[in-house]
Amino acid sequence: MKNICLDVRRGEILSIIGPSGAGKTTLLKLMNLLLHPDRGKIFFDGVDTDVDEKRRRLLRREMGMVFQHPALFDTTVFNNVALGLRIRGYPAEEIRKRVEGALSYVGLRGFAKRKAFSLSAGEAQRVSLARALVLEPKLLLLDEPTANLDPANVLQIEETVRRVNLEKGVTVVIATHNLLQAKRLSDRVAFLWMGELVEVGETREVFENPRSERTALYLSGKVVY
Amino acid sequence: MTASIVFFITNPTSTTRSRLVIATTTSTVDSGLLDYLKPYFDKRFDADMTWLYLGTGQAIAVASRGDADILLVHDRAREDAFVASGNGTHRATVMYNDFVIIGPVNDPANIRGAGGAVEAFKRIAEAGESGKACFVSRGDNSGTHAREMKIWSAAGLDPRGRGWYMEAGQGMSSTIRISSEKQAYTLSDRGTWVKLKSALGEALRLQILFEGDKMLLNPYGLILLNPVKYPKINSELAEKFFLFMVSKEGQRLIESYRVAGEQIFFPAFGKAEDIGLPSEEEEVRYWIKRLSENGLEPPPWVKQR
Amino acid sequence: MAGWEEVFYGLVKAVELIFSGDPDVVQITILSLRVSGLATLIGGALGIPLGALVALRTFRGKTLVVSVINTLMGLPPVLVGLVYYILLSSTGPLGFLRLLYTPEAMILAQLTMVLPIAAGVTISSVSTIDPKLREVAVSLGANPLQETAILLWEARVGLLTALVVGFGAAISEVGAIMIVGGNLLGYTRALTTAIVLLTNQGEFVEAIALGIILLTLAFLVNAILTLLQMRSRSSLFAQIYTREPRLKW
Repeated sequence: MKNICLDVRRGEILSIIGPSGAGKTTLLKLMNLLLHPDRGKIFFDGVDTDVDEKRRRLLRREMGMVFQHPALFDTTVFNNVALGLRIRGYPAEEIRKRVEGALSYVGLRGFAKRKAFSLSAGEAQRVSLARALVLEPKLLLLDEPTANLDPANVLQIEETVRRVNLEKGVTVVIATHNLLQAKRLSDRVAFLWMGELVEVGETREVFENPRSERTALYLSGKVVY
Repeated sequence: MTASIVFFITNPTSTTRSRLVIATTTSTVDSGLLDYLKPYFDKRFDADMTWLYLGTGQAIAVASRGDADILLVHDRAREDAFVASGNGTHRATVMYNDFVIIGPVNDPANIRGAGGAVEAFKRIAEAGESGKACFVSRGDNSGTHAREMKIWSAAGLDPRGRGWYMEAGQGMSSTIRISSEKQAYTLSDRGTWVKLKSALGEALRLQILFEGDKMLLNPYGLILLNPVKYPKINSELAEKFFLFMVSKEGQRLIESYRVAGEQIFFPAFGKAEDIGLPSEEEEVRYWIKRLSENGLEPPPWVKQR
Repeated sequence: MAGWEEVFYGLVKAVELIFSGDPDVVQITILSLRVSGLATLIGGALGIPLGALVALRTFRGKTLVVSVINTLMGLPPVLVGLVYYILLSSTGPLGFLRLLYTPEAMILAQLTMVLPIAAGVTISSVSTIDPKLREVAVSLGANPLQETAILLWEARVGLLTALVVGFGAAISEVGAIMIVGGNLLGYTRALTTAIVLLTNQGEFVEAIALGIILLTLAFLVNAILTLLQMRSRSSLFAQIYTREPRLKW
């Protein structure tokens, strides 16, 4: 990765677009502090993240990440969503309230006792989202969350993301190769190509008047690899 | 025919030597006597003498299923029953050894000075009840165990279930080793004891504390299986083994066997009355005839008859 | 008696022994359960964390450690018995413990055999967990201990199988406990060593009866495992029998 000079503004929805292998996942993992940068610094909410693992863990607990594949654990939906809260040591009653709240929020009321592995792809991904939301994170990171879903599920998840951003002020960073999704959802867009941050700006600006030629090529559908 | 083909396939290195399977007890095998006799027998009869390592009860059970060619055990009551049932045709006492009472060097029950085996056992029981000694039994219905129970019964005692009395349920060597660990008394045949002592030396912390009572004599019976009842056994070779064991050569070999310089076994063919057993005259006469028919010599003390 | 008759009478005798509550048989069965049960629990309690540690960390010589553990899984029981005998005998280095010919020595020998099994199966169960799940745990803010606990829970069916397999191996083992236990009536006589004794005595019917009791115990433990496996998705078995949809994602 190179030349990554990126500001994520509080309360915005930022899309990261670019071809496969451009480094979108890597960038998100860096933000989630799952990876260390070789050079340069990452600041979260004004705090330098280049600290010992224990403090990084504490910072990580203020974010929530949703991966491309739901990656649920072999247990009930409830247990999957409650996991983050249990890790943080919340009391049982609080956990129950929050989990049921989160499940309702993503439209899965009543799913608590279902086995995670009996869900459809769309349901599973929503559980994954609930798992992140139940922690009431400041920052929500989504790595191609709807890549494997049918259109109905795609829209439903997008709507939840929009709601949580508007109602709760959660900052959202979403990596996607779905340009229409990026256009629908985000305030700003960042274009990543071969590990390099080529361009970043207001969504409408980037889509209508891309500053870089590579951006233009990509947006017009001529594949850039 | 089938047997020799299978034998051939499974034993590619051997020739068409005839194989003999002896059902016998652990104490007999542990003494090493059979290993000593094997080269002589094999050469003399162009055979392959082998044996099964079993408890007395199992040896008899195996023989009664016809899974062996001949039976060599040391439990008179069961030997007689075997013949009476028709499973065996001929039975003779071929040798005897003796039992010894071994125990910890400091002899807490003080049996060294006892007048007889029964008195020794009485002293052990007394010491056991007052917590000063313990006893480990074979506990496996073997010939040795049978003798042990006979002595207890002659002493009017039943030690089973008492805290100082343990039943190992194993062969003689294992039982001796357990006794050493627990510093307990036990009854053992001399052969196994001598062999184990010479192998383990100081590591075996026991000693012979009583020996020599007539009650401790241990005669061995050789039994020929009924060839009509068990058509598949090697009865020809079994009879040859019988002849060998009661012949001058066999009896002399038994007498000459040494373990750590000690004689363990004593020839007993034709000497039944001498060691306090009922007469076997008929059997002895039968075998003298068979020996001469086969060109073999009977032992010298029998020749005079 | 021809062969099959003995098996039949053995079955009859087994039922008789179980329902009459024959005190010797009860005691022998309880000892077997106690020795093998404790050996499995302790061996598992030590082996599972060890396996988790090896599976989740990278370190130099990891391949060697895994190979050693896999080899130890196949330790011949008689060899284990022999080594412990030499160690625990009164003339041996640990003789002062006076453990020889006690049930504790039997437990020691058997847990030595169960430990590598538990560790080895844990390593393979944990290693085959989807690595994304590990990422999820970390991204949710789990510390290393929590991460390990989460992954062990995820691999629980494999771990349970390890314990059941370990228990099965322990309760049917005879060589080690014969050597270090001594088969003493009332103290160290277990089902397997009792069967050896009965066989030596030519008492085949009783031996088969005890054998049937042993098989029943092993079957019961396995039945429990099968029931638990059916409730989890990770076995093909569960998918066929519970008709839960195969995963698409």
